[in-house]
Amino acid sequence: MTFHSDDPRDIGWVRENIPCQNACPAGTDIPAYIRAIAGGNHGQAYEINREANVLPGVLGRICSRPCESACRHGWAGNGDPVGICHLKRAAADLKDTRHRITERLYAPTGKRIAVVGAGPAGVAAAHDLSLLGHDVTILEREEKPGGMLRYGIPEFRLPRDMLEIELRNALRLGVQLRAGVTVGTTQGAIRVSTLLADHDAVLLATGCMAPVQLPLRGVPEGTDLSRHCQDVEYGLPFLMDLHRGQHKRVGRRVAVVGAGFTALDCARVARRLGGREVTIHLRTSEEYIPVTSEELFETKREGIRIKGLRTPVALRTDGDGRLTGVAFVQNRLGGWRENGRRLATPIEGSEFFEPCDTLIIAIGQRTVNDFLDMRVELDRAGNVRVAENGMTSVHGLFAAGDYVRGASTAIEAIGHARGIADRIDAWLMGRQRRRMVRIEAVAAPPRLPAHDFIPRCHMPTLPLAERQLLTGEVERGYTPELAAEEAKRCYLCDLRYQIDVDRCIYCRACIEVAPRNCIKLTRDVEIRADGSLGALRETREWRRVAAIWIDNNECIRCGACFKVCPVACISITRNHFVTVDG
Amino acid sequence: MNAAASPPPRHHVIIGNGVAGNQAAELLRDRDPASRVTILTHSRLLFYNRYLLPGIFQDMANWPELLAHPPEHYAARRIHVRRECRVSAVDPRNRLVKLAHNETIPYDTLLVATGGRGHLPEELAEYRPLFHHFGSYEAAMATRRALPERGAVVMLGGDMIGLDLARTLLAIECRVILVTHETTFWPHALTPEERTNALATLVAMGIEVIDGDARGGVAAVEPGAPGLPARRVVFHNGADLYGDVVMPCFGLTPMVEFMVGTGIDIERGVLVSPQLRTSDPHIFAAGDVCQIWSEEEHAYRFYYGYRNVRAMGEVAAINMTGGQEAFATNRVESLGHDAQGRIDSSFWVYDE
Ligand SMILES: Cc1cc2nc3c(=O)[nH]c(=O)nc-3n(C[C@H](O)[C@H](O)[C@H](O)COP(=O)(O)OP(=O)(O)OC[C@H]3O[C@@H](n4cnc5c(N)ncnc54)[C@H](O)[C@@H]3O)c2cc1C
Ligand code: SF4
Ligand code: SF4
Repeated sequence: MTFHSDDPRDIGWVRENIPCQNACPAGTDIPAYIRAIAGGNHGQAYEINREANVLPGVLGRICSRPCESACRHGWAGNGDPVGICHLKRAAADLKDTRHRITERLYAPTGKRIAVVGAGPAGVAAAHDLSLLGHDVTILEREEKPGGMLRYGIPEFRLPRDMLEIELRNALRLGVQLRAGVTVGTTQGAIRVSTLLADHDAVLLATGCMAPVQLPLRGVPEGTDLSRHCQDVEYGLPFLMDLHRGQHKRVGRRVAVVGAGFTALDCARVARRLGGREVTIHLRTSEEYIPVTSEELFETKREGIRIKGLRTPVALRTDGDGRLTGVAFVQNRLGGWRENGRRLATPIEGSEFFEPCDTLIIAIGQRTVNDFLDMRVELDRAGNVRVAENGMTSVHGLFAAGDYVRGASTAIEAIGHARGIADRIDAWLMGRQRRRMVRIEAVAAPPRLPAHDFIPRCHMPTLPLAERQLLTGEVERGYTPELAAEEAKRCYLCDLRYQIDVDRCIYCRACIEVAPRNCIKLTRDVEIRADGSLGALRETREWRRVAAIWIDNNECIRCGACFKVCPVACISITRNHFVTVDG
Repeated sequence: MNAAASPPPRHHVIIGNGVAGNQAAELLRDRDPASRVTILTHSRLLFYNRYLLPGIFQDMANWPELLAHPPEHYAARRIHVRRECRVSAVDPRNRLVKLAHNETIPYDTLLVATGGRGHLPEELAEYRPLFHHFGSYEAAMATRRALPERGAVVMLGGDMIGLDLARTLLAIECRVILVTHETTFWPHALTPEERTNALATLVAMGIEVIDGDARGGVAAVEPGAPGLPARRVVFHNGADLYGDVVMPCFGLTPMVEFMVGTGIDIERGVLVSPQLRTSDPHIFAAGDVCQIWSEEEHAYRFYYGYRNVRAMGEVAAINMTGGQEAFATNRVESLGHDAQGRIDSSFWVYDE
């Protein structure tokens, strides 16, 4: 039995019960691809990934993994989250070398679309728009596509051959890439207004290209610190120059200030460039920085120290203007920012000094808008404002990725850009696509209870002694055996266990064998405004019991109840989103 | 008219059965006689004195000798000690402690007193299975079993916990080889001159001191070869040395994993006010797990040593039962010499 449903209760169920997919900004069907890996079908797993995100092998290496923070296996008492990201990489690495990608093409529309910026947002949008039948041109200032994936992230985290293949696959179906072309107002640059005149729509995906400046005592506001002192650099240009092929140098003692990917990457690069004592200085503390714990661990393993609760306030230089160190003030943890990040409050009179020879400042990136030759409405943070349909205040001008959202992550940029591509298509063609739930009957529990006790499989890594070079990839990838073992850990949350109340004889056998408080005696269930089902109202009084109910939030899909039910009134279905036209 | 129903007894839950946790439990029992007091610990033993652990290398025969109190003491004091319980999470909103075996325990006030575990620098983490430890009775016993008579012990780092054991090891005629590191003499922060003098004292005591920095730091720990001691330590400059056991002695790391994600302020340890309050009004922290705000130093800092930790247990108990006491210490954290010219430390002071 298989059918499609647009019932809000079914849509609400999928949204709430597959926490990983719900947390993935691109909406990747995670249980589906993990199921494929468990069955040894790496190519199929790759294709499932590619439907949501055109760069699975890339994201399988560098994704910020919001899915893993949400994974049911990581909830209190359930152990560690599933290695969703490592499995994504396994699908990409272990698929057959002759694997053929599939693309579903719409008929040509004759519409012309220009995309500015070939970062993950620009590439994902261009790919989707091209499949939808439009003629797409990407204009990219750098010599090669990839944006921060190529010019920001170091090769020891993301080998360029993998990036190259996936970018080419994303762009080769009719997208014209014009690299080395600047869009802007300078001489030789192409103007946005020209693009608008020549195209049916223009999408800006120019990312966050400017480093956030660090205010320091004695340095006039707006001064470029890297010009002020030759031993001070901003993290973003430091990495971009390196990846454009420039030779970079650091001193023996390197201080990095900042707390995100860029700061960690700068520190790890500095170590490989010969920095002996490399320290990352945080305003808050390790718990609150937006990088994965594995990355933090590898950074520390490479001998990099992390010191918290401090803000730099001044530079110290010697008579020749060379850096001798940085003065910091001590911080306390403060409240929370709107974006969920932690605030730090400097403590008056707590200044102290740390010696260093090089300072790398990586406290954030921001958008630049000086390439626009027209007025475009911005929000308070200086990011471009887009309407519900993805359009800026200028007719036909759309924007996506970090350029709209501020510095975020590759998967957020991709997820956002795909949504915008869909809306550009809707605006140009009047076409709509919508989500439905495909519901398939499952004959028997596909998992064994023993799978719940498999510990998370660790990613094999390059020995420390071999980490001197900027290129050797640190994470080595799962073997097929490790991938199969890790895949077994997934509960497959798209499985829905239900009791047919009309056939239930209330023998309670299922409650006896349940490993958790997953089967409940209920009075009724809350029905939300959108028609989806909310919280169960439980009861312990027999006369009030209206139903026996499987709480799929508590359920770890072990199948124990299914196996003991004497009247076979427990059913299993697989529920997942599909996109349909119309 | 009915007499007003008395409120249900409060439940004070303490995570950790070390010095701070036990001191707090005793005082909570005295100050709030009607309350329930529960200690949760992943240890198999009741509170025992970790300061006496070196003794098991010498003449201490059995674990009951280590126990601070017999089991009846806890029964008489109505302190409920739940052993072999691993706390997996704390839910401050619903005031619940979650245990790894899926049980939840409600609390009114919670004291986090989980202490610290031996720190292993991340670059050595992959050699964890080859190290010998000393942080618990079980670990110390395993190390003792691995150490042959007059065997050689390699101490990496050489914090004051390790140096305490080193005194005993020398007394039983073992070789002690200390590989220096920035954590040598932890938690004492020494000037370069003090450090040089203290290292000379160690040499005079009979400890073989190896300059870890000069060899580029430890690169790897490997199993020894047949006919040689059980472990080989390899340095970045290619030098090596052998020992029967290799002990990481790099100071302590607070055990806070289960608090991560609760919203409670954490830097390296749980951050607390001088009253030992965390950022949640119902949760306190005491002992090696917490960093206390110091008004004088304008910083959060750790305070180690038996007396400090015991005082923290007391302050926490007072404030968990309505008090407003601040933790203060006038103990000078000093490294000195004893009458025999051996090093001596305030960190080793223990009052029965
Ligand atoms: C050092 C570093 C490490 C990172 N690590 C991670 C990580 O591990 N995981 C993760 O998820 N995210 C990471 N990020 C963030 C992630 O790379 C970005 O969120 C993502 O690349 C944003 O995608 P985007 O397409 O919006 O912008 P970008 O990737 O910034 O791409 C914008 C593109 O537009 C081009 N462009 C800009 N202006 C013009 C113009 N006027 N004309 C023509 N072209 C122009 C740029 O050259 C660039 O190629 C990292 C970022 C940095 C800097
Ligand atoms: S257990 Fe599997 S399906 Fe469930 S949240 Fe985790 S990865 Fe997703
Ligand atoms: S499958 Fe059944 S018994 Fe197993 S966790 Fe889910 S509801 Fe409980």
